[in-house]
Amino acid sequence: VLFPTVQFGIFFPIVLVLSWTLMPRPWLWKPFILLASYVFYAAASPVFCLLLGGVTVWNDGAARLIHRSQSERTRKQLCAGAVAGNLLALGVFKYYTFFVGGVAQVFTDVSLPPPLPLLTVALPVGISFFTFQAISYTVDVKRGLIEPARLIDTAVYLSFFPHLIAGPIVRAREFLPQLASPRDPEHVAASSGLMLIGMGLVKKVVIADYLGRAIVDPVFAVPGAYHGPDALLAAYAYTAQIYCDFSGYTDIAIGLALLLGFVFPQNFNSPYRATGFRDFWHRWHMTLSRFLRDFLYIPLGGNRGGRWRTYRNLMLTMILGGLWHGAAWTFVIWGAYNGGMLVSEHALGGWFGRRTPAWLRWFVTFHLVVLGWIIFRAQSVGVIWSFLARLASWGAPTLWTFPVLLAIGVAIVPQLLPPSPVEGLQDRLGRLQPVLIGAGLAVLVLFVAATVPSQGVAPFIYFRF
Amino acid sequence: MPNPNPNPKPKPKHADDNLMDRFDRAGTRRFTARQAIVAVLIGSVILALAAGTSIRKAGNEMNPGIGRDAVLAVGDPASWLAQRLPLRPAAHTLTAWLSPDVNLNGLPGFAAYTTTTTGTAGGIPVVTPNSFNPSQLGAPAPAKQRLHTLLVTGDSMSEPLDQYLAQSLLPNGVSVIQDPHIGTGISSTLLVNWGQLSAYQVRHDHPNAIVVFIGANDGYSMPGPDGRQVNCCNAQWAAIYANRVRQMMNTYRQDGVAHVYWLTLPTPRDPARASIARVVNAAIEVAAQPWADQVTVIDTVPTFTPNNSYRDSMTVNGTPTIVRESDGIHLNSAGSQLAAKLVLGYIDQNFIR
Repeated sequence: VLFPTVQFGIFFPIVLVLSWTLMPRPWLWKPFILLASYVFYAAASPVFCLLLGGVTVWNDGAARLIHRSQSERTRKQLCAGAVAGNLLALGVFKYYTFFVGGVAQVFTDVSLPPPLPLLTVALPVGISFFTFQAISYTVDVKRGLIEPARLIDTAVYLSFFPHLIAGPIVRAREFLPQLASPRDPEHVAASSGLMLIGMGLVKKVVIADYLGRAIVDPVFAVPGAYHGPDALLAAYAYTAQIYCDFSGYTDIAIGLALLLGFVFPQNFNSPYRATGFRDFWHRWHMTLSRFLRDFLYIPLGGNRGGRWRTYRNLMLTMILGGLWHGAAWTFVIWGAYNGGMLVSEHALGGWFGRRTPAWLRWFVTFHLVVLGWIIFRAQSVGVIWSFLARLASWGAPTLWTFPVLLAIGVAIVPQLLPPSPVEGLQDRLGRLQPVLIGAGLAVLVLFVAATVPSQGVAPFIYFRF
Repeated sequence: MPNPNPNPKPKPKHADDNLMDRFDRAGTRRFTARQAIVAVLIGSVILALAAGTSIRKAGNEMNPGIGRDAVLAVGDPASWLAQRLPLRPAAHTLTAWLSPDVNLNGLPGFAAYTTTTTGTAGGIPVVTPNSFNPSQLGAPAPAKQRLHTLLVTGDSMSEPLDQYLAQSLLPNGVSVIQDPHIGTGISSTLLVNWGQLSAYQVRHDHPNAIVVFIGANDGYSMPGPDGRQVNCCNAQWAAIYANRVRQMMNTYRQDGVAHVYWLTLPTPRDPARASIARVVNAAIEVAAQPWADQVTVIDTVPTFTPNNSYRDSMTVNGTPTIVRESDGIHLNSAGSQLAAKLVLGYIDQNFIR
């Protein structure tokens, strides 16, 4: 079930009513929300409910064993084994096809048959997210930051449907305490939740999907058919599209959770306002950034061990972070590019030093981020070069239309405005009576739905990750 | 029970950058769960009354199952109510201009004859000269024309084939129109009526070559001669399907001005889908018979799934290569590149590029 679908529109109100009805009785609420989450997941891929269940039981068992163990060495080994199990699941389902394809090529080059069967493996929806959450749970137990939870709590944590498919990556230590006692029905951020849902729908359906159809998909499909101005606009359009697509999903997820009484961590904080790559990664997909920092960069040694080790750790972290996004060389290159930018920034002590005006630092950073998105969006390495070559070719623009420019502007410009007025407006709207916002949201949905083509809403970009 | 863990536990610290308390500021949590429920229910009721018919339509588009039943359980009464209230027309008037779909109103859909499954009114169908490909008769091939506009269309099967064809033909100055319609099918007219859409595409784009790759979503029941639904996939269903395909082929060939290249479906992995694909492919072959000189059926089965046996990978240019997507239906990037090569080979028989 996708969020912006009729099916979900029927599913959610039923779950909301039953959830608050059962909330005072956790022994009923927890099985109910677990069942609802598995029904939600089954609509996308019923078979993979077993995988989700397996990951839950595996990590729950591992966390218990780690907690009971007296020896630090055993705890380390158990934790490593649990993490390896999660990575194995992720590797088999997400990277097998990519891996065997590459290996087959190498073996063929030396006239040997492929050592592994060339099979396609279906990617379970959301596997990258729930395995990372499972890892965070097990490692946090090992680190002594949390106690092992009851199996049902772990299961609810990993499968809670608002974050199950595409995050945000909620840490166990953020979520499990919220399961400890029933959510308070007298204090619900209902207006904020409804506002976020409305904003997310507009971002995803109106802006992101429109830009995809109008400019991004055609230009990235055949860059050679377009000249520099159109290619440039397509790059800006994709910059706007990916933000609206992913942050739109996150807004809806956070909004749904708020209506159910739960709070998720923030995932985006005006990322295109960043004045450096470090700043960008503190604002973009924040829950992934901190996961990579806490579970990869710091365990690799972080910035302890001198300059070169820091650079190595940054590069490794970002390359693996890139690969997390998908099994393709373009993602590896994108990760390496971001790693390279972080290393350069570190080496230079910030872009051009602190004396450089903020607007120039922003301008350079923004355009380097846009360049990164070209790599990210390209279907193959060849398309990256083809696209970059087109940027340098002059010709008459054919795709510069007012709606496209407006959509890009609406996606990007508010991030550049001072946060206070924007937040102030949100706060003021958020204080309206939820009933008013509910009715307003319905009217908004009618308008949003009218922009959906007969083929339906395009899948969220991050679903395939 | 005492904690057996000997390690000192640092005090659980909530992450530095999660901003979990951001909704506590400025009294945004001042509402109750009851108010949240009322707000959501009011919104749902407004939507049901204003867009009830859309809910029912969405249900009808779904595959049979619990999900469809649940949507229709809401959609049917909502649609009934919506049709009796002024909200729906008002909402339509206010929002219709936002629709990104092309307006197919006024264009002919599938003609009445497409439901026919018997001979032509007792007569014997006439064989025309167009039924023969010149090469079958040992005759010289007609002079090649210049390819100026190629339309690549279909359902999701036509992606990314359309991109590879466009990339290949770009250096030749050929205008390639990519017009995939994801999730659609010839047997279902709920999302798109391909009878109408093909007429629109021809009028709008004037292509002199058309590549069609469609059928991944087919298998829906279609109205038969007596108006009753004919379920997939007996001979009657195949005949109705073939008639629809034939109408589209006739539209695309534009009285012989254009050449149509219609790809059959490579056998899917799922046996149920494979049996539908077999019938679809047979219908395509039959549909093309009157215009063998203008419609080329490109059979993908021998290339991708010889003997209708599904396979994920095959040898391409000497290298074992995965050519299918993990859904077992679509061609992946490498498979689509191979299909594009296949199509270009046929295009080169008829056109100069």
